[in-house]
Amino acid sequence: MAGYGFLSLWLFGFFALTAGPMLASLYLSFTRYNLFGSPEWIGLGNYQLLLSDPQFRQAVKVTVTYVLVGTPVKLAAALAVAMLLNNNRRGQGFYRSVFYAPSLIGASVSIAIVWRAMFIDNGIVDRIGSGAGLDWGGWIGNPSLIMPMFVLLTAWQFGAPMVIFLAGLKQVPADLYEAAAVDGAGPWRTFRSITVPMLSPVIFFNLLLEAVHAFQVFGSAYIISNGTGGPAGSSLFYTLYLYQRGFQDFRMGYASALAWVLLVVVGLLTFVMFRTSNAWVHYGGDEK
Amino acid sequence: MKLTTRITVLATTTAMLLGTAACGGNDAGSDSPVTLSFTWWGGDERAEKYQQAVELFQEANPDIKVKTSFTDFPNYWTARSTEAAGRALPDVMQMDLSYLREYAENGHLADLNGQVDTAGFDENQLRAGTVDDQLLGISAGTNTFALYLNPDALEKAGVEPLPENYTWEQYNQFILDVQAAGVKTKDGQPIVGSGDYRGVLWLFIQWLVQQGVNPYTDDGKIAFTQDHIRQWLAVGDAPNNAKAFASASRTTQLKPKSPFLVGEQASELNWDNFVAGYLVDLKDVELQPIPAGANGTAQFWKPAMLLSVSNNSEHKEAAAKLTDFLVTDPAVGKIFGNSRGVPSNEAQRQAVESEEGSADELTTAYEKAVAAQVTAETPLPIRGFGSLEATWLRLGEDLAYGKISNDEFVEQFWAEAQQATL
Repeated sequence: MAGYGFLSLWLFGFFALTAGPMLASLYLSFTRYNLFGSPEWIGLGNYQLLLSDPQFRQAVKVTVTYVLVGTPVKLAAALAVAMLLNNNRRGQGFYRSVFYAPSLIGASVSIAIVWRAMFIDNGIVDRIGSGAGLDWGGWIGNPSLIMPMFVLLTAWQFGAPMVIFLAGLKQVPADLYEAAAVDGAGPWRTFRSITVPMLSPVIFFNLLLEAVHAFQVFGSAYIISNGTGGPAGSSLFYTLYLYQRGFQDFRMGYASALAWVLLVVVGLLTFVMFRTSNAWVHYGGDEK
Repeated sequence: MKLTTRITVLATTTAMLLGTAACGGNDAGSDSPVTLSFTWWGGDERAEKYQQAVELFQEANPDIKVKTSFTDFPNYWTARSTEAAGRALPDVMQMDLSYLREYAENGHLADLNGQVDTAGFDENQLRAGTVDDQLLGISAGTNTFALYLNPDALEKAGVEPLPENYTWEQYNQFILDVQAAGVKTKDGQPIVGSGDYRGVLWLFIQWLVQQGVNPYTDDGKIAFTQDHIRQWLAVGDAPNNAKAFASASRTTQLKPKSPFLVGEQASELNWDNFVAGYLVDLKDVELQPIPAGANGTAQFWKPAMLLSVSNNSEHKEAAAKLTDFLVTDPAVGKIFGNSRGVPSNEAQRQAVESEEGSADELTTAYEKAVAAQVTAETPLPIRGFGSLEATWLRLGEDLAYGKISNDEFVEQFWAEAQQATL
C-alpha cells in the first residue's frame, strides 16, 4: 500500500499526461474534429481516407526514404569516426567533444536556419559547387536535392551513436585482435570478422534508436521548408504532414489517425527487428 | 521564425511592463482594473503602430489594461485554433475574412451590434463581417487587387507599358515580352514579367467574378465547378509553357521575400495595401488596375482585416470598447494610414495624412482611380476557406515545379474541397 503511495505522483502523471491524452487521441482518430466544435463519430472514416490521400502517400515516401537512406549513412559515419577515436592519442577528449558537439546543438532551430542559409541559392554550397564546375543551384529550392541535404544534416549529427559505438569498441577484448594479428588478418578482415560481430548488440541498439528517431523528424523539416513541406512536397515528412492537417487545416481527427498509424508502424518495425535480431546479433557468451 | 518569436516575447513583456507602469497610479481609485488581451498578425512595423494606438487607448481608459502579442500570419492561425479548442481566445483579435466563418459558425465570436459605433462605415464592409445577422468582425480597412509594377525593371526590359483596360491575354503577352527582352539583374538573375499568378486562390475568385460567376451559393457552399478551375489554369498556359513565369525554385528560396521584392520581377498581382511593405524593399512601385475579363475588371473591396471580440471573453464590454477605439478613433487612423487597408471608417479615412509620394498616397490615389471599376460585391468566403486557400497554394507550387498537370490540380483540389467543406 505504501508502495502505491510513493508511486501515486508518478501514477497521476502517467494517467493524466500520458495515458489520458493517448486514449483521447485514439478516440479522436475515429471522429471528425476541427478543434472548434465537438467531435463527431465517423468510425473508420479517417483511416479509409488515408488510403486515397496523395499527400499521405507522399509523406510516407519522403519519410521512408529518409529512414532507409539517412539512418545507415549516419550510423556508418558514427562507426567510422568512433573507430578513429578509439585509439589512444593526445587530445583524444578534445576530438571526442568536437565530434559530439553537432548532435548537442543539432536539434536546435538555429542549426536548421544555418543549414537553410548554407544550401540556398548563392549560399556557400552553391558557390563551392559552381567553383568546381557543378551547376547545383540552391538545394533548398530543388525537389531532387532537398532529400540529400536532409540526409547530410542527419549524418552530420552522428555524435550520439558515435559515443555509444565508442563504448562498445572499448568492450571488445584486445586478445581477439592480437590473435587475428598473429594469424595475419588484414584490417578489413579484422573489421568484418571481429569488430562487427562483437559490436552487433551495439549496432542493433543504435539502428533501432536512430530508425525510430528518423521516423519522427520534424523541427528541421519545419524550419527549412517554412512549414510547407516544399518544394513541391519533397520535404513533406510524416510528422510535418500530421502537424499541417491538425493545426493548419483544423482536421484534428485525421491528424490523430495519422499519429496512430505512425505509432503502429514504428511498433511493428521494432517488433520485427527484435524478432530477427537473433539471426545476426551476437552476445558475448552466446552458444549460437 | 525564431527571431519573430523573440520579438513577440519582447513586445509582450514590454507591453506588460508598460501596462503595469501605466496603471500603478490608478489602482487606488477604481475597484479592479480590467486586463484585456489583444493579438494580431503582422510585422514589426504594425506592432509599433498598434503599440502607439493601445497607449492612446489606455490613456483615455485608465481602468483598462491591454496586454498585446503578435506573430506572422500562418503561426497566428495555429495559435488561435488551439486556443479556440480550449475556449481561451484573446479578448480582442485581428480576424481574416478567410477564417471568419470557421470561427463564427462554431460560436467563438461575440456580436458587436450595438457595441461598436457603426455609423461611419460603408454598408458593404459591415455586411462582410456579418454572419447570420450578427456583426462578428468589424472591418479595419479595405483593399482590392492591383497590378504592381517595378518601373526600374520595366525600363531595363524596355517593354511597352500595358494599355488601359488590358485583358489577361495582353497581360500574358507582356510577360512573354519581358522574357524575350532577356535582361538580368546585377546579380545575374533573369528579370521575369510575373510570378505564376494562378497559385493565388483569391485571384481565381476575382477571375470568376469577372466571368459573371458567383463563387459561392447563399448558404455557403461552393458554386464554381471543376471546369471553372480548369479554364482558369488554362489562362496562364501560354507564359507557363514558355517558362516565362518566375522560376519555382528561385521563388521558394527567396521566401519570405519574393522575386518581385528583390527586383527580379517586373509586375505582380496583389492586394493594394501591400504598398507600404513593398516600399521598404523597392525604391519605387506603380499601381495599375488588374487585367480585365468578360465583365471588365469587376473588382471588389474586401476587408483587409477585421477585428473580433471572442465569445469566451470575460470583459466583453471593455473588449468592444477597445475594438471601437481601434477602428473608429481618428488618432488611430492617423497612426496606421493605409497600412491596414484604406480605413473603412469615415473619420479614420479623413485622418490619414498622405504625403506626396508616400505609400498612403499611392493607395489612396489607386483606390480613387479604380473606384468606378469596383462593381462587384465582396464574395464572402465559406467555411473551411482558410484550408482551401492553403491547399490551392500547395497545388500551385506543385504546378509551378511541373510535378502535376492542370488536370491533376483540378482533381486533387476537388477532392480536398469535398473534405474541407463538409
